[in-house]
Amino acid sequence: MKKVGSVLVVGAGIGGSQASLDLGDAGYKVYLVESTTSIGGVMAQLDKTFPTNDCAMCIVSPKLVETGRHQNVDLFINVEILDVKGEAGNFTVKILKKTLHVNVDKCTGCGICGRECPVEAIDIFNEGLARHSATSVKYPQAVPLVYAINRDYCIGCGICLGVCKAKAVEYGMEDEIMEINVGAIILAPGFDEYIPPEGNKYGYGKFKNVVTSIEFERILSASGPYSGKILRPSDGDVPEKVAFLQCIGSRDYRDGQPYCSSVCCMYTTKEAIIAKEHMNLLNPTIFSMDIRAYGKDFDKYIHRAQEEYGVRYIRSRISHLEEDPKTQDLIVTYEDETGIIAKEMYNLAVLSVGLNPPNDAVYLSEKFGVDLNEFNFVRTDIFNPVQTSRAGIFACGAFTSPKDIPETVTQASAAAGCVNQLLHDQRGTLITEKSLPPEIFVAGQPPRIGAFICHCGINIGGYVDVPEVTRYAGTLPNVVLADRNLYTCSADTQTIIKEKIKEYNLNRVIVASCTPRTHEPLFQETIREAGLNRYLFQMANIRDQCSWVHMHEPEEATRKAKDLIRMAVNSAREIQPLERIRLSVTPKVLVIGGGISGMVAARNLAFQEFETYLIEKGSVLGGHARNIYTTLEGGNVQEYLSNLINEINSNKLIHVYTQAKIENIEGYIGNFKTSIIHGEKKEKVKFKHGVVIVATGADEYEPTEFLYGKDDRIIKQSEFEKLINTTDDIRKKKSVVMIQCVGSRNTEHPYCSRMCCAEAIKNAIKTKELNPETEVIILYRDIRTYGFKELYYRKAREAGIFFIRFDETKPPEVRVEKDNLKIIVENPKIGKISIDSDMIVLSVGIVANGVENEEMGKMLKVPLNEDNFYLEAHVKLRPVEFATEGIFLAGLSHCPKSIEDSISQANAAVSRACTILSKDEIEAEGKVACIDITRCSGCGMCVENCAYNAIELILDRRFGLVASINQVLCKGCGACSGNCRCSAIDILGFTGEQIYEMITGRVE
Amino acid sequence: MSFEPRILGFLCNWCSYAGADLAGVSRIQYPPNMRVIRVMCSGRVDPQFIFEALQQGLDGVYVMGCHIGDCHYLEGNHEAIKKFNMVIKFLSIVNLENRVRLDWVSASEGVRFSELVSEFIQDIKNIGPSPLRRDCPDKRLMEKLKAIERAAASDRIRALVGRERKITEQENVYGEKVSQEIYDELLNTAIHDEYIRSRILILLEKEPKSVKDIAAEIEIDPNKVLENILVLKGRAQVDMSEIVDITPIYVRT
Amino acid sequence: MNEAAIENKGEIKQWNPKIIAFLCNWCSYAGADLAGVSRIQYPPTIRVVRVPCSGRINPFFIIKSLMDGWDGVVVSGCHPGDCHYISGNLVARRRFAILKDLLDFFGIEPERVQFMWASAAEGERFAVLIKKITKLMRKVGPNDRFKKKW
Repeated sequence: MKKVGSVLVVGAGIGGSQASLDLGDAGYKVYLVESTTSIGGVMAQLDKTFPTNDCAMCIVSPKLVETGRHQNVDLFINVEILDVKGEAGNFTVKILKKTLHVNVDKCTGCGICGRECPVEAIDIFNEGLARHSATSVKYPQAVPLVYAINRDYCIGCGICLGVCKAKAVEYGMEDEIMEINVGAIILAPGFDEYIPPEGNKYGYGKFKNVVTSIEFERILSASGPYSGKILRPSDGDVPEKVAFLQCIGSRDYRDGQPYCSSVCCMYTTKEAIIAKEHMNLLNPTIFSMDIRAYGKDFDKYIHRAQEEYGVRYIRSRISHLEEDPKTQDLIVTYEDETGIIAKEMYNLAVLSVGLNPPNDAVYLSEKFGVDLNEFNFVRTDIFNPVQTSRAGIFACGAFTSPKDIPETVTQASAAAGCVNQLLHDQRGTLITEKSLPPEIFVAGQPPRIGAFICHCGINIGGYVDVPEVTRYAGTLPNVVLADRNLYTCSADTQTIIKEKIKEYNLNRVIVASCTPRTHEPLFQETIREAGLNRYLFQMANIRDQCSWVHMHEPEEATRKAKDLIRMAVNSAREIQPLERIRLSVTPKVLVIGGGISGMVAARNLAFQEFETYLIEKGSVLGGHARNIYTTLEGGNVQEYLSNLINEINSNKLIHVYTQAKIENIEGYIGNFKTSIIHGEKKEKVKFKHGVVIVATGADEYEPTEFLYGKDDRIIKQSEFEKLINTTDDIRKKKSVVMIQCVGSRNTEHPYCSRMCCAEAIKNAIKTKELNPETEVIILYRDIRTYGFKELYYRKAREAGIFFIRFDETKPPEVRVEKDNLKIIVENPKIGKISIDSDMIVLSVGIVANGVENEEMGKMLKVPLNEDNFYLEAHVKLRPVEFATEGIFLAGLSHCPKSIEDSISQANAAVSRACTILSKDEIEAEGKVACIDITRCSGCGMCVENCAYNAIELILDRRFGLVASINQVLCKGCGACSGNCRCSAIDILGFTGEQIYEMITGRVE
Repeated sequence: MSFEPRILGFLCNWCSYAGADLAGVSRIQYPPNMRVIRVMCSGRVDPQFIFEALQQGLDGVYVMGCHIGDCHYLEGNHEAIKKFNMVIKFLSIVNLENRVRLDWVSASEGVRFSELVSEFIQDIKNIGPSPLRRDCPDKRLMEKLKAIERAAASDRIRALVGRERKITEQENVYGEKVSQEIYDELLNTAIHDEYIRSRILILLEKEPKSVKDIAAEIEIDPNKVLENILVLKGRAQVDMSEIVDITPIYVRT
Repeated sequence: MNEAAIENKGEIKQWNPKIIAFLCNWCSYAGADLAGVSRIQYPPTIRVVRVPCSGRINPFFIIKSLMDGWDGVVVSGCHPGDCHYISGNLVARRRFAILKDLLDFFGIEPERVQFMWASAAEGERFAVLIKKITKLMRKVGPNDRFKKKW
């Protein structure tokens, strides 16, 4: 069967969107289908994100807009999957496009229909806290911004048809069945949150002041129904005492799911912090069994919550809530760690609900023919967490297991990376490049400006006197045409604009309508089609920032609209055509680090016929994985590793250099030059490559505590793993005590090493299997078996392994006695105990190699975090790349993580790299910084301010030391220009001249 | 105790008014308590007229039109029924529903006219004078009635009532009929919501108040008040002005 | 009664200062858009100049605006940590801290130049801040010191 160069992505949350963007950028045709009416998923509902407290909407909406507009991504909303046939490389999928009764092409999202609709229905997006009408859009920043009629509520009164000036309402519109042909499928349907059933012990649904965490998220949101004020539902008062109850529906064998939902400890902490930030008189308390802050910088976040925000953590699981009927306050009864039972009153209780598989998981599994696990999450390969049971179908995000945003984004790219591997030879076959007329030469000509002013139905026209504004625009200098349209964005107006450009010889175009954030690209495309350079365009926002916010002052609004248009005209006069710089790409890759991450990346790249240089500082490949025999889930690591090494060694496109050291890397995205020395003879090699993948790994902590090294019965977890997997010694041991968090979560290494709990449990279970007589005791601070790993924690307890908690401030004490090892540990509940044992196993953490990372960081100009791990470009949405373009990141050098996650990250890095490698040349954005070196004093301020390493100081023959800007790396933020003391740097497209003209254009 | 009720009649030009004239021509006697306003059709009687009349302290309002099928304007009286139903629903909230009545009288029914009018006057006499009579109007009730007047004028209610016949008796935009039960439920919810919202607005127009204060005045659950405050906030009709201690205070914008 | 009529009743026509607002594209400009989409009303006193990042804003822009007779200047960027360009808003923050002192030295009322943060989700906050700044500017009065007199 012939392979097809297109991909179906199911579900358009952050995961689906990321996968679509990756694949679209890499030259595949993408069909992105979404069951609801807009994209963004759960992330768009969130107020802030942990652990950076980034505003979720700020970071996600540009991505959603990009997805909605991508020329290779076809987005279908309100879709149902009917049938899937075929095999990897060539599937035929039948989909049902359910009618919205609104013409997506015509709807401008103005929302008049929603306001006029007499039927108020529940607003799904705000979790039932606010009301919306039967015609509604999920949220104000939705992509695509179209309204949809909800037939469940609509009574067919016809009012919306009457009020819609865009004539977008079409009641007769019917469902449509479509058949699409794709080479691969990515499933990203996300999750559904656990909803406590009727009659639950927490009184959810009965007590008004009990809300779920996702409802609380909407309460917190500045654009939510309470506009960021925290009020309790019963009477609208500010709740002074808020209780957060963890593990609702998670780690619960009776009423919920037995697994851990992975994200609740963190999102609750975030909600507590943000709540405190929004309303200082609020005091949050979190009741939880363990605090599972296992991710990068998570523990620091918990610390901040405690220290800076006074968030109180109580180690107790709450089983039920009572209500004081008079005040509607809630009574929490709990047993604290020391065994004392206490009762406390709270004004509001938030249930931290777990993540369930999506409600339609079974349906999806039947349609796509993929297996589910016992909880109805999709079953994935043990070493490749994005590979489903069916070839050619991949999954990512919370559908594979509960997970947070960066892991979802990583998996989304990983799935795209796997699709790349499958379909690489079909890349670019199904996408069409638009043919455009040559650009008209306008430089040096006097500006001839055309202004198009939009009525936007009545959205602008109802409040701003558009004819008057148009007349006024026509009087402004250089404006040769001022025209007005009912909808400037409609398809027929685009034709009109193009005709007018020819008729009037326009060389600048202004549109006064809505916001450039969503509509600038559309109009730029239009003028480009008419032969004008796309930057000869300027927008005046007279709707979102004028008519809509001054609805009761039409005169002032009209005056403001005139001002805004005049400012736009003044700016337009100064615009110059810009060129997007094009750069050739060397389709080769440097992978630094020969561990699992590096090798997986190299294998994937070589499979796609990209020549790859894999360099390893040690003498053999394998990295950290050489110490690991199995995964907790039972995967055979050594077998996987040796197969992988064989594949690497036998692939002609992979050049492996061991005992290698990088001498120098120079260049930038698409064009790097690297020289290394390698081997015992220190041979020198030089090569060119287009991207870099950093996968340098990390080290095991070398303990000095607990008498390690003083007695050979005290060993590290990896040594213990070797012992039980290669010898029979364990049969002789009566007792083994494991101590957790050795070299983790302390002042020196304030982070969690994430895998030690799982490793300890894995080896403890294995010990019990080998010799049930051996007593195994695990001394821990928190057991962080997130996700499905929780099941093994339970299994370990059932196998008779003892878990004893100790407090950070009171670590266990180890003594060597004659034949015995003695461990004294203090448990908050049972007090001091002393244990005799004949083996002590230290679960040591993962530490970054600070010296090497710093050296490499300097060479690549990439930053490290406080713990010497590499710092990615964006903690949430760009987890596998650096701010410096063309450099990617995978594996332990990013932060401690499991083998599976490292593999995902490696594939993700490949996918991100493919968006560059798949092109012959890359195009940089035209709005970038430029420098007038005759003015530059070479002070170097701009170099320091540039977050993208796009500026360096060079020695000019005539002017000495001057700044030089690499426009390929420049993002056009302007931090350099704003600080330049000599006004030597300007930002094309936002030039100082343009802005000064806008400022001075005030005179009236 | 007997009193002389003051009753306002809205009579349609073509049937009821003619019927009243006939009663006169035939010298049929009936009590003098009703004052008549002639309208072209019973469908012309805007619910606002009725609420206004009650606010003026009138003891009863009688709307009369042609018999169904006889409307000079074909279907005006059908519309009158729908509007009147809505009026009744609203007035039930304040127990004033029996002070208004709708009946059909043809041009030839002079006797029927006088009988109906006499009957209505007697009924009103039995109920007693309006609590809103000008000399000592019940202020709380007046406020409620004002809220009703405002709620009934809202786009939402008028849109629903205006489309009722089309969607329940003929066909809606999808070529379907909406059952009367579903429609009634929608209308009831809408009436309830809009009434509460109007009450909140009227209260806030007097002075800033908290959710709990409002709840105490309207005598509904504070939770319901909060819900509706949020809707009004979304419509930019109210705003939070300050937080006193732990209680937010809302103002009319 | 007509709702708009109620809204307008009793409002006395006030002097509307002319304020130029430099908004970063990713957070504040989006927040201003959200205020519009949510129809949150605020006084018609600002004229917006969209810039990629608050870091783009040259102190000259602000000084030039004041010299040109704008009554006030608003500079709004992403919240610290939210910057689309990683650290542009922090660069801006440092820069404007110094500028504030300089303005004071010039004898310009420091209230005329306002720095704020607004995220893409904070439409309401944006409107509230503009209301506040407008009120403040009304108190400070017209900026006619630089009016050309010839």
